[in-house]
Amino acid sequence: MHELVDRSLKDEEFEEREDDDMLICRCEEITKGEIRRAVHDGMYTMAEIRRYLRCTMGLCQGQTCAKLVKGIVARELGVSPDKLEPATSRSPMRPTEMYVIANEEN
Amino acid sequence: MERYDLIVIGAGPSGLSAGIEAAKAGASVIIFDENEKPGGQLFKQIHKFFGSKEHRAKVRGFNIGYQLLKEADEAGAKVELSATVLGIYQDKEVVVKIKEGIKHFKADSIIVATGAAENMVPFEGWTLPGVIGAGAAQTMLNLHGILPGKKVLMLGSGNVGLVVSYQLKQCGCDVVALVDAAPRIGGYGVHAAKISRMGIPFYLPYTIKKVEGTDHVTGVTIAKLDPSFKFIEGTEMHFDVDTVCVAVGLSPMSQLLKMAGCKMDDNPRKGGQVPVIDEHGQTSIPGIFAAGDVSGIEEASSAMIEGRQAGIYAANYLGYIEDKLMKEKEDELDKALDGLRQGMFAPSNRGKKIEKTEEGIDISNNLLAKGFVADEEIERFPGVVHKLGIHPVMECTQNIPCNPCQDACPKKCIKIGSKITSLPAVDESVDCIGCGMCVASCPGQAIFLVNENVGEGMAEITLPYEIYPLPEVGEKGIALSRAGHPVCIAEVVKVRTGLAFDKTAVLTIRVPKEFAMKARFYKKEKLAKSV
Repeated sequence: MHELVDRSLKDEEFEEREDDDMLICRCEEITKGEIRRAVHDGMYTMAEIRRYLRCTMGLCQGQTCAKLVKGIVARELGVSPDKLEPATSRSPMRPTEMYVIANEEN
Repeated sequence: MERYDLIVIGAGPSGLSAGIEAAKAGASVIIFDENEKPGGQLFKQIHKFFGSKEHRAKVRGFNIGYQLLKEADEAGAKVELSATVLGIYQDKEVVVKIKEGIKHFKADSIIVATGAAENMVPFEGWTLPGVIGAGAAQTMLNLHGILPGKKVLMLGSGNVGLVVSYQLKQCGCDVVALVDAAPRIGGYGVHAAKISRMGIPFYLPYTIKKVEGTDHVTGVTIAKLDPSFKFIEGTEMHFDVDTVCVAVGLSPMSQLLKMAGCKMDDNPRKGGQVPVIDEHGQTSIPGIFAAGDVSGIEEASSAMIEGRQAGIYAANYLGYIEDKLMKEKEDELDKALDGLRQGMFAPSNRGKKIEKTEEGIDISNNLLAKGFVADEEIERFPGVVHKLGIHPVMECTQNIPCNPCQDACPKKCIKIGSKITSLPAVDESVDCIGCGMCVASCPGQAIFLVNENVGEGMAEITLPYEIYPLPEVGEKGIALSRAGHPVCIAEVVKVRTGLAFDKTAVLTIRVPKEFAMKARFYKKEKLAKSV
């Protein structure tokens, strides 16, 4: 079990930065600024960030961006990325069309 | 619901090896892979592998793939392709998407060998078409026969970045630069030297500032970094390119294990989230094992051994192999694995700066910073000697686990000894016959045959050459130095291509004798003029 996140970590104001409009999650089109702002909005875990922004939940299922998002959130919180628990893994492990799921054999 | 003794997830080097061992022991085995073709990354590895002769060194990766497939077939392990495992559920139930349907499977044991995925690094313009992973470039080149672009900049100097740069060059791409944010080249020096002498410059510590273009890549700007990883103003350099390749490491694809409920560990030294495993590769769930990159990023040779071990452990768990036999096989494979984990690039040395070789020789700093051993450094290594007549010159200067050259020489001129990481030395009491076997066998292409005086003030250098079409005997071109700079005119006097050379041509060029220790590559003049 990871340590509980200290909810008092982030009390300073959100500050805009030059690279805030850089896309990080390309499937869901979420920018670096949106991720940083989400931390200031109180999203401190990968699960919260995911639910709040949908980043890492698109076609690639975070294969490209999960590590990047985690890095940005960790830096914003001022903690090492390995202190943040990765988001939950769920089935289906790869994006799957509904008609395929309907073709289920027992 | 279909039942098997063992389900292996991933038909790459480690998954195939695991399936082979368990099936050989008598277990019923099915191996799933989401790709259309098996072999994982093996089939795009067209270079010769490092390692020991016993473990397939100097064999090209894709040929190792064919060998493994044949072995799996003979052992009776079933390989199911285009089969994506969607989840691992309670009691080892595995749900698989096969073509356009979903099927359920159950086994008493599962080996997860799902490998790794490429990392990305965000910079301005990183989402433009033309910015691709180095692995993706390799897939395009070697599996599909498509050039990713004409002019390429490579970010990342680990072995992936180095090997893919070489392969891009082999395919006729112009690799304009190799850039790394670290102050030292991350991969094997011999790989770096190979591309340096082809004229690809290294920029360290530099990184990409921005990639330019509106709907595709048209250029890239790099800049130098200070020790705190900030851009140094005024160091910007621009290159017109249509492709930027990113080779900044791999992350284990361990989500299935996490989903199955295995205890996980976030370990930056292993590349990310990995399962906690015991000395038998078993996760916190009895009967579920992990092998290969999914349990920590290494390379294919160790993944194959780990896979074999996991297959043996699973067979033991299933009751097909007794403890005593397992222990014997395990010890043997442990020894091989230990051998591969030795030397300057051992996992335990990751991130450390090594100052001296195991022999106590100063490491070439120029090699680490610029990609080639400087003229004044090369003489201090044991593979570099001077004698009358033709003799090998081995520019192998870092301790890496590799020894095919020792067995390649029919005259036993080359000595490494029992320690696989030792630098090769020349036995000066034995005469070289100039057969070229060592030249073609060296996976690092670091062996040359030099005859420092063939008369009339000339010398001959025999070197490995893998750029097709091959030069013709009698043609004249440019000899390039280790740094890739033109040094003199060279005449091709011999081009040898034997079956035993396995597509590495052995080229002999004649140069003025003062360049005998300088000329290390040959460039066709036509190409030389066009640059």
